[in-house]
Amino acid sequence: MSTYLTKRLLYMIIILFGASLLIFCLYASTPGDFITGNIKLTAERKAELREIYGLNKPVLERYGLWMKNALHGDFGYSLAQQKPVLQLFNDYIWNSFLLAAVSTFLTWVIAVIIGVVSAYKQYSWFDTLVMVAIFAAMSLPSFFIGLFLIKILAVDLKWLPPGGIITTGSNATGWEYIKEVVRHMALPVIVMTLLGLGSLTRYFRSNMIDVLRQDYIRTARAKGLRERKVLFTHALRNALLPAITLVGFELPALFGGSLIIEKIFNWPGIGQLYMQSFGLRDYPLLMGFTMFIAILTVIGTLLSDLLYRIADPRVRLQ
Amino acid sequence: MKQRLMLITTLLLTGSLLLSACGGNNANTDGNDAAKGNTGTTNTSTAQSTATNAPGAEVVPAGALSEPFTATDLSKLPATAQKRNDTIIVGLTDPSGAFTPYFQQSGYDGNVSSLLYASLVTVDEKGVPTPELAESWDISEDGLTYTFHLRKDLKFSDGSPLTADDVAFTWTIQYDKAYDGGSQLPTLNVKGGKAYKEGTAQSIEGIKVIDPQTISATLEVPNATALVTLGSNVLSKAYYGKDYKFGHLEYIKKLHEHPLGDGPYKLEKFIPGQEVRFVANENYFKGKPKTEHFIYKTTEGDVWQFLETGEVDYASFSATEENIEKLKGLGFVNIIPYTPSTYGYMQVNLKHEQVKDKLVRQAIVYGLDRQSIYVDAAQGAGSVANIPASPISWAYTEEGINPYKYDPEKAKQLLDEAGWKAGANGIREKDGKPLSIHYLGSKSKNTDIFIAVAKENFAAIGIDFQPEVFADFNSLVSKVEGGDYDLVSFSTSMLTDPSEGFMQFFNGEIKDYDNPKFIELYNKALATTDIEQRKVVYKELYQLFNDELPIIFTNYKKTVYAYNGRIGNLTVSPYIGLAGSLPEWTLK
Repeated sequence: MSTYLTKRLLYMIIILFGASLLIFCLYASTPGDFITGNIKLTAERKAELREIYGLNKPVLERYGLWMKNALHGDFGYSLAQQKPVLQLFNDYIWNSFLLAAVSTFLTWVIAVIIGVVSAYKQYSWFDTLVMVAIFAAMSLPSFFIGLFLIKILAVDLKWLPPGGIITTGSNATGWEYIKEVVRHMALPVIVMTLLGLGSLTRYFRSNMIDVLRQDYIRTARAKGLRERKVLFTHALRNALLPAITLVGFELPALFGGSLIIEKIFNWPGIGQLYMQSFGLRDYPLLMGFTMFIAILTVIGTLLSDLLYRIADPRVRLQ
Repeated sequence: MKQRLMLITTLLLTGSLLLSACGGNNANTDGNDAAKGNTGTTNTSTAQSTATNAPGAEVVPAGALSEPFTATDLSKLPATAQKRNDTIIVGLTDPSGAFTPYFQQSGYDGNVSSLLYASLVTVDEKGVPTPELAESWDISEDGLTYTFHLRKDLKFSDGSPLTADDVAFTWTIQYDKAYDGGSQLPTLNVKGGKAYKEGTAQSIEGIKVIDPQTISATLEVPNATALVTLGSNVLSKAYYGKDYKFGHLEYIKKLHEHPLGDGPYKLEKFIPGQEVRFVANENYFKGKPKTEHFIYKTTEGDVWQFLETGEVDYASFSATEENIEKLKGLGFVNIIPYTPSTYGYMQVNLKHEQVKDKLVRQAIVYGLDRQSIYVDAAQGAGSVANIPASPISWAYTEEGINPYKYDPEKAKQLLDEAGWKAGANGIREKDGKPLSIHYLGSKSKNTDIFIAVAKENFAAIGIDFQPEVFADFNSLVSKVEGGDYDLVSFSTSMLTDPSEGFMQFFNGEIKDYDNPKFIELYNKALATTDIEQRKVVYKELYQLFNDELPIIFTNYKKTVYAYNGRIGNLTVSPYIGLAGSLPEWTLK
């Protein structure tokens, strides 16, 4: 097990190095740089600024410099935001994480419940109805459902706030603050859950259907076990196994932010910031964020392999 | 420098238009315009000036707003807005937290700092300089030395005195070799600035502190924009300068989120991505503002929902009939019409044979139905431009200006004259080459409209039109720098001084317009600070450009501001946005 881990960690580092070089070159080769967009600068001033920011150096030298600083824990200053990249992450990522964590949790819980019930009652009216509803929710564009809910619940009925994370100007603390945030996140969480629910429910439903047809389920029933126990102890555990792979993939998504949702609900998340930095070619921020996601992806993959091993003793890691 | 920030804003706006388009409503884009005006100058009577100054021949669509509209039913005001008694909330796209003037990269930060810092000199609703922190100024006979006389007892918000030393420090650091901001001040060529930048002088020779209330700057060449550029915000030397060493400005980044200013408001709290909270500055030289709290709320998405629910008190929208009708329908907002101090144009690649010829450029303008594209299709939220100045500028004129009304016959005649004869499949040819125009534009609804109409218009006069649309502004500019285009659409950033309307010929990409008369007139207009004299020169310049068309003038934008009917004393300046009147705003 420990040799396996060492080997995996080594691979991870190589992968990350390769990825960082590739990403750096890709960003550097997109047309234009941070200075280009400012069409009011004189050519001399542009050259001066490129000198100050080091943008006139060859790409590989810039990469080396970036890597050296990154290894020292310095991810640089965002050119557009004039702040250290890590401080920006700290300012924005947790907001994205909050939304993603809550909606992912809800999505999984609801998907498991619906998946199990509709697999158990396959082809019943419940199953049909739920599947139709889920397909409908899946096919809705997020901006449409988002704006629609804002119009109904926030603008017309005034039940929920139309966006943001706290009431503007609010000085609430403690419980009051938590209540405020919960009210504000209700709408985006509903939309994200609705959109994520579809594929996951179908996944659990089909896994469950497969498992329910297995011999050991028949055996369990033949032993006279209670149906509840058959369903949740024998069937569900096995049906959930393949889903462990998914857990690892959820990791980067938890921190990556969601551009459209954040934009519609005016949520101060990292997704918006990233998109904006791309338009401006704010290299330090772009590099920092992309590498952050790359690291999470690699860790997530490792994590799901390990979890698989723990959950299923038949799996050997070598 | 303010203008430069505005530029980025404009670009961002273009970008966000794209994104918000999927929401089916681009009001937010213009909402951000709202505060955006601020980085220049003063108060509105734009309402009237728009109406009177608008090109006479222009057809104003029914439903367009030509004068202010007053809220009809304040009882419809949402409870959220009703409850606020000492706070006003305005939406602002995305302030980043870099609140130190001269060191900002985003125009939104400029909006924030315009409330935190006052200027020595500001400009009125026509763009004419007026005193602020400086009660008066003298300009030497040769137009080289500017002397500012500060008011007595000026204070920063922490109560410390503001003196000529602070002004000298502010000017000096902009000549530091590590200075990476967008200020225009270094381009003024203050005497000795270059030596300082190169490290061969300890201080800047041309900057002289005469006494604590008096300071002067001497330039190497006369420049009428110097008054406003030098007379901008003042940084406290005690606060921003205590760690200053030549060539090292990194320390200022740490102060960005903790500004110390002298403007009407002080920063109370900045919540990244959410709010910038201000509290009235009791040390403001005009007296403490009437409303205790002010908040810029970050509104990346749609601003409608926040106005409708009372979460913001003030927002700007594109002046389309649809928007105006909807705003009037709300009942609780006052609406004022507004023309931003910008103009839209198409840059022409003067290296390319086919557009190098003035007759072809004139033919393009005659042959484009600009009224349909910029006024009718935009539902009245625009008007046609023919000179490089906005209708609200003091230099604007229509005297001797050819309006280039849509006239395809005239266009054909000009093309014939230029030697482009009808060839095979209707495309004109000269020396065996077809007349083809490669057009670049940024992805937006307006570009889509332009391309649709222009394609037909150009086909009708025998020009082959090849549009290319970019979703990413940087890519577009790179393509332009590469020279692979004939026409490219741009919009200027906010113009304060009329000379800025010609900026793209000095900074930026247009290097091929070689006309000694233009340079002569341009310099002549900058050589004097007398507005009446300058007006005469600018009129001549505008007539020259209107005829020569080194760039093709397209349109002016029109916007409206909608605000909570409870707010009194609100005016918006095309140059300094709401910053000028904000200290007077009251909540009824």
